[in-house]
Amino acid sequence: MSLEEFYNKNYKKLLVIPIVVFVLSIVYLTIFSLNHGDILEKDVSLKGGVSATFYIDKEVGLEEIKSFLEKDLGSSDIFVRNLVGIESAQNGYIVEASGVEADTIKSVLERNLYVELTEENLFIEETGSRLGEGFYREMIFALVIAFVLMGVVVLIIYRSLIPSMAIVFSALFDIVVTVALIDLFGIRISAAGIAALVLIMGYSVDTDILLTTRVLKIREGGIWDRIRGAAKTGLTMSVTTFGAMLVAFIFSTSLVFRQMFLIIALGLVVDVIATYLMNTGILKMYMRRKYNEN
Amino acid sequence: MKIKKLFSIRVIILLFVLLLCLIAINPNPYASGLEVKNVGGEAASQGIKHGDVVESINGETIESIEEFNSVIGSIGVNSTFIFRSSGGEVAYITTQKPEITVQIVRTNNIQKGLDLSGGTRVLLRPDVERTVSDQEITNLIDVLNNRLNTYGLSDLQIRSAKDREGTKLVLIEIAGASRQEVKELIEQQGEFEAKIGNDTVFVGSEKDITFVCKDDGTCSGIRNCDESANGAFCTFEFQISLSGDAAKRHAEITKDIPIGAEEDGGRVYLELPLDLYLDGQLVSSLQISEGLKGLETTAILISGPGNGATQEAAYDDALKEMNRLQTVLITGSLPFGLEIEKLDSISPLLGGNFVKNAFFVGFLALITVSIITFIRFRKLKIVLPMMFTMASEVFIILGVAAFIGWRLDLVSIAGIIAAVGTGVDDQIVITDEVLRGQERAYNWKQRIKRAFFIIFAAYATTFVALLPLWNAGAGLVRGFAITTLIGITVGVLITRPAFASIVEKLLSD
Repeated sequence: MSLEEFYNKNYKKLLVIPIVVFVLSIVYLTIFSLNHGDILEKDVSLKGGVSATFYIDKEVGLEEIKSFLEKDLGSSDIFVRNLVGIESAQNGYIVEASGVEADTIKSVLERNLYVELTEENLFIEETGSRLGEGFYREMIFALVIAFVLMGVVVLIIYRSLIPSMAIVFSALFDIVVTVALIDLFGIRISAAGIAALVLIMGYSVDTDILLTTRVLKIREGGIWDRIRGAAKTGLTMSVTTFGAMLVAFIFSTSLVFRQMFLIIALGLVVDVIATYLMNTGILKMYMRRKYNEN
Repeated sequence: MKIKKLFSIRVIILLFVLLLCLIAINPNPYASGLEVKNVGGEAASQGIKHGDVVESINGETIESIEEFNSVIGSIGVNSTFIFRSSGGEVAYITTQKPEITVQIVRTNNIQKGLDLSGGTRVLLRPDVERTVSDQEITNLIDVLNNRLNTYGLSDLQIRSAKDREGTKLVLIEIAGASRQEVKELIEQQGEFEAKIGNDTVFVGSEKDITFVCKDDGTCSGIRNCDESANGAFCTFEFQISLSGDAAKRHAEITKDIPIGAEEDGGRVYLELPLDLYLDGQLVSSLQISEGLKGLETTAILISGPGNGATQEAAYDDALKEMNRLQTVLITGSLPFGLEIEKLDSISPLLGGNFVKNAFFVGFLALITVSIITFIRFRKLKIVLPMMFTMASEVFIILGVAAFIGWRLDLVSIAGIIAAVGTGVDDQIVITDEVLRGQERAYNWKQRIKRAFFIIFAAYATTFVALLPLWNAGAGLVRGFAITTLIGITVGVLITRPAFASIVEKLLSD
């Protein structure tokens, strides 16, 4: 059986895959938010807290730093990471903790590491919890507004409800499933990470628009030919962008970069499911009903 | 095929825009030397300015930041200081250590944001219950700007922001300042009051204080240092002039205060001192000589202490305290108190590394995209124009950023990569449409038109999706929206049409 025959026979059944993925994601996010109080785990810039970057001569284990911080700060919400790729003879570390003062972290580090931390080797980013929460709400609000605006523009472009809804739902699918993956990977989201989610929407819509335009507007050949053509172009797009994001993720030293590129890469993978397993099926059904095309 | 055919009007437009961007970026890779980044105190009042390119200090040619720091560090008080720079020669006898920091001369017009250059970022919220008007925020920004400048921090950006509830915030970004300094300068509302007993003699406003001596060794400086129980202490002194009204008040209040007992050295003071308060806290108590009793004096000598473990530390502390007090007296108080909501100090070391890394990563991403597209299309005729288009887009985004003076930060660079990513997508759409057209011998123009319908539709949706990022989170991710928007706009209007034209010509051959 050729791929065409298989697809034409099973395109409705294939819709089950995205539906199951979507439902699983919703369930996972519900459980996650019950346990964590929110659908995303926020970093200190979005929930308030201190991020301290310091450079010292000696090498210290991350676990060791974590354990004395937990003990002395009386908090379990502590993250310690190495700084990679810095051009310095010293070792760099980043420590994140919420609900503590910058000066406290400084003195705890000094006491346990037996070093003096000054303006030259300690850099602190401190965010008040009220501001952090405010930022988070604003970023989520921006995401929602972006989603609505995108939907309106799609509706204006295609002027038909079902294909437009398919695009909008596909973007929603991408966001929801990507957020679930972010939680699953244990990523603590930053403002930049949420900006990356907005961009996923952009990329998601790109492939959907390509598909919808080829199937709906440029009606050459059978539906299968149009879908196949759009998929060939669309998958090339996704694979190139995915490749670029993956390489960028692997070789970036900045944590801001790494998070953004990882999130975009995840979103691109999710979008393949949304576009080619879900959106194609919906469009095919729509074309059959409306234009009786096969 | 003739090369000439490639230069369609669309390609010429692209080349022209690239030329404009080259002018905007103004690369000058051979520029070298150091320029003044921040200058304050005496050095500033003697005429040394931000941006002056350093030539020599006291005849010694300066070539590196280390060299500069060691030479400037060796200059103490009462020494000759001859500073030669692009701004001319400044020479004087120091009454304080020169407060100058330098940076390597910029080799182009692209400005780096705080997370790439290092520095301090503060986000402030007015500490008042009522709503603050736009005018009040403008005033606040003026006073803050003036205060930081007077203190000697000139490389700074201040702007207002708003959260979703409409609360106004103020965002300050300062290159090369210490966290502690910034905190102290900003947390002080700066309400100054001088009292004798419970009576106010004068307050820190232009009405009462007509002149504050700063950076002038004849009426301001560190006067004496001595050992103390905990190390050392130094005393600063500077002169201020009172208005006639304030002087009258001084006379009124002091005339009723009894004269105290004679002290060691035969000096006699009034029983009550002149207490100086800053934001309700006692900074210094000055004894009043008996000769001033009931006198309308306009010249007042303000003094105060600085402490430290060593004399040098005490000297620096006294200098800092004096500078702060002078700054507050000159620039007046803030219209209201401020609460620090966010205070970030960012390492310049890390930022410098990020820039290099971003170039490297960008290059790798470009190579990756080229390899994947080559595997798919197997034609250098397609891949080479694609690489050219991607590189052009990066260059144009940088050019526009330089032109509008946008400071590139990390999220801006991520935005560039994202924009180029969508660019590649569009080029693939164009290429596929052109190739398909070739297979079926359709009309080229029709093909490209179709490709551009898809591209414009995708552009419109991404454009509107990015807009809400503009103000979210005090505008700290605005850079992402800006560079992506510039990139995709330039893409649909300039680079992708040019790409379509090039590919069309190359493939039709």
